[in-house]
Amino acid sequence: MTEATRGAAPISDKRSATRSAGRERRQGAGLDLFLPYLLLAPAVLTVFGVLVYPLWNGIQASTKLYRYGKAVSDIGLDNYRRLWSDPEFLNSLWVTLRFVTISVAIETVLGFALALFCAKEFSGIRLLRAVLIVPMVVTPVVVAIVFRLIYANDTGMLTALSEALGGGQVDILSDPVKAFVGLIALDVWEWTPLIFLILLAGLQSLPQEPFEAAQVDGAGAWRTFIDLTVPMMRPVLAVAIVLRTIDAFGTFDQVFVLTRGGPGTSTKLISLYGYEVAFKFQQTGYAAALFVTVGLLILALALAAVRLLRRVEAT
Amino acid sequence: MSSTDSRRDGVNRRNLLKGGAGAALLAGLGSATPAKAAGKKVVIGGFVDGALVPFKDKIIPLAQQQGFDIQFLQDQYGVTLEKFFNDAQSGAGQYDLYLLDDPWVPQFGAAEVLEDLGAAGIDGADKDWVRPMVDMGYWPPQTGPRVRGFETATPKLICVPFIGDIQTFTYRNDVYKNGAPKTWDEVLELGKAGVSSGAIKYPVVFDGVSGNPIVTSWHPLLLSFGGDFFDDKWNVIFNSDVGKASADFLVTTLKQNAPPGVVEYDSNEVGASMLRGDSGATIQYTGNALVSDDPSQSKEVGKLDFSVVPKKEKAIAQIGIFIAGVPKTGPNKANAIEFLKWFVTPEIQAKLSAAGAIPVKRTAFTVPPAGNRLIPVTLAQFDAGAMPRPRTPDWAKIEELVGIQLNKALQAGSGGGAALDVAAGQIKDYLTQAGYYK
Repeated sequence: MTEATRGAAPISDKRSATRSAGRERRQGAGLDLFLPYLLLAPAVLTVFGVLVYPLWNGIQASTKLYRYGKAVSDIGLDNYRRLWSDPEFLNSLWVTLRFVTISVAIETVLGFALALFCAKEFSGIRLLRAVLIVPMVVTPVVVAIVFRLIYANDTGMLTALSEALGGGQVDILSDPVKAFVGLIALDVWEWTPLIFLILLAGLQSLPQEPFEAAQVDGAGAWRTFIDLTVPMMRPVLAVAIVLRTIDAFGTFDQVFVLTRGGPGTSTKLISLYGYEVAFKFQQTGYAAALFVTVGLLILALALAAVRLLRRVEAT
Repeated sequence: MSSTDSRRDGVNRRNLLKGGAGAALLAGLGSATPAKAAGKKVVIGGFVDGALVPFKDKIIPLAQQQGFDIQFLQDQYGVTLEKFFNDAQSGAGQYDLYLLDDPWVPQFGAAEVLEDLGAAGIDGADKDWVRPMVDMGYWPPQTGPRVRGFETATPKLICVPFIGDIQTFTYRNDVYKNGAPKTWDEVLELGKAGVSSGAIKYPVVFDGVSGNPIVTSWHPLLLSFGGDFFDDKWNVIFNSDVGKASADFLVTTLKQNAPPGVVEYDSNEVGASMLRGDSGATIQYTGNALVSDDPSQSKEVGKLDFSVVPKKEKAIAQIGIFIAGVPKTGPNKANAIEFLKWFVTPEIQAKLSAAGAIPVKRTAFTVPPAGNRLIPVTLAQFDAGAMPRPRTPDWAKIEELVGIQLNKALQAGSGGGAALDVAAGQIKDYLTQAGYYK
């Protein structure tokens, strides 16, 4: 059939075909319109139920005054204002910032060093890599209990070791500075493997040509590390640091078991203080304001880190 | 039949019918047994403490014989308050009966989440109760200051004493050879002599951890020195001259005579120090003291004796009883109330005493044989002087603020009085903001 013949088809057939095609299009359009939403609905509802609603509820609670577990009045932003004159909040925020900064810095340096070492292939390396990530998979509460047994000044392992060597009792948890250092040591032991794992993956994915070229040019190991490895690893380092920083802000189990925030308030992290305010002192509204504020601080930090990462990638 | 065979049999219609017939037969047989075997379910929540062991080992089996189907769920002390309060408020209904620490009663009372046990038929006026114990079951309190909003409310019995507990003095009878020391001066003088003779390493030991533990150590000292926490209008008075003297005595004098790491000592470490034979004396609750004669836990069997606490001006100890409340949202609260009525009968209280726990009814203290030689000492302490912690729903916060400052001073080894001034200021600010002084 030629084009001309096809064009001369009876008008009734044409109309019928047009109607049929229109119906199909409408049906298709309906499916196109609703099916994606239908498929997305379970996920959206779940996110709404477990994330959006609790968050909204928390924000609402943060504007109320609670007494004896019940909301008694709306107080606007008073809870947020009160935070900045609460010495316990300011202290725990300061302790948390110090804890996060020091522990993440140490973990990054150690994790990078271990990753560089384990990036090489030699006999037993697979076993070593597996062993190095063991601390990360132990339950944090168990780690804290073990460290408490190590640090205990009367029957702890460090005291036993010290006494065997002719020394005296080792007081870690009863001294503010030592207890803080002890908490950082625990965190470093447990979470250096996370940084190690991320950086090892990054190192193994680096192209080999620049390193071979540097070797041909006679560059030493240190020069290669500074001029090639570090710049090429910057995006991976940034991701590892951001992830670990956000995680470290939420540290709770270890400090709850190891020191309960003491001695005094020397190891009282913001998570522990927030927990006490919410559940022990039943100041629900104030606790909600505290956690919203801390959440915003972490969000700001994460956004700043992402912006930094983009800038690094661009250069 | 091997496991493979059983898998091969699997689930088919015939097996299901057989199973159904069997279940129906069992149900029929079950209905023919007496009602008490049907099981009146009661889920009891408590925290881990040695004082509850006799109840768990001896009384729960008795209750089961009586037809109660008891589930006893225990948690660590540090998380129990928040867990119970959350359960009561959210209506989760995880428990039918809470075993609370007595200072938690006001918080539950103010939130109005517990059943009125007086209205349910438990007689709080019964003369057989140890009075200071049952007084703590009322909200608002029958005597003493009341918090805002409850000034004119009629007190209701929302909790009943469950296991008696109070601080008593535990001491080494080979160090204090003429019996219990009556004053703190004697405690230290004879304790130092004990250290010189090599019988012990340290004269005393106490809880030093921030918060509840160190306040538990200091409160009996404050009372013994003649001080108190608040006046009748909730004004802070613990930083009076005698209060400061008691704090300085704790963080300086007692610390110098205690193990070096006492800042990190909680009741577990204190108990271990006594049972290991390191320390000569302590003030403690009954949980640790009850195991003093157990050779599997104590190296000093027969060497630890108990008495009323030493005095400065008075010999007053802090009450810390286990007290039972029934949540309004408990799914089996009728069973829980029935269980409580059974538990506080003189017969069961006598059995509790024989099992080695501190009873809550006076007659049970005199029923021989008491299961533990500590039991008559606790009654003597109740009669000599026993004070509860202040009856306010904000006690947890108050205790935290005092505890932090005392712990800092203890760590420094000085400045107890100054620590109390700081804590007093913080508590005054907190109570002002909470509307106590309007």
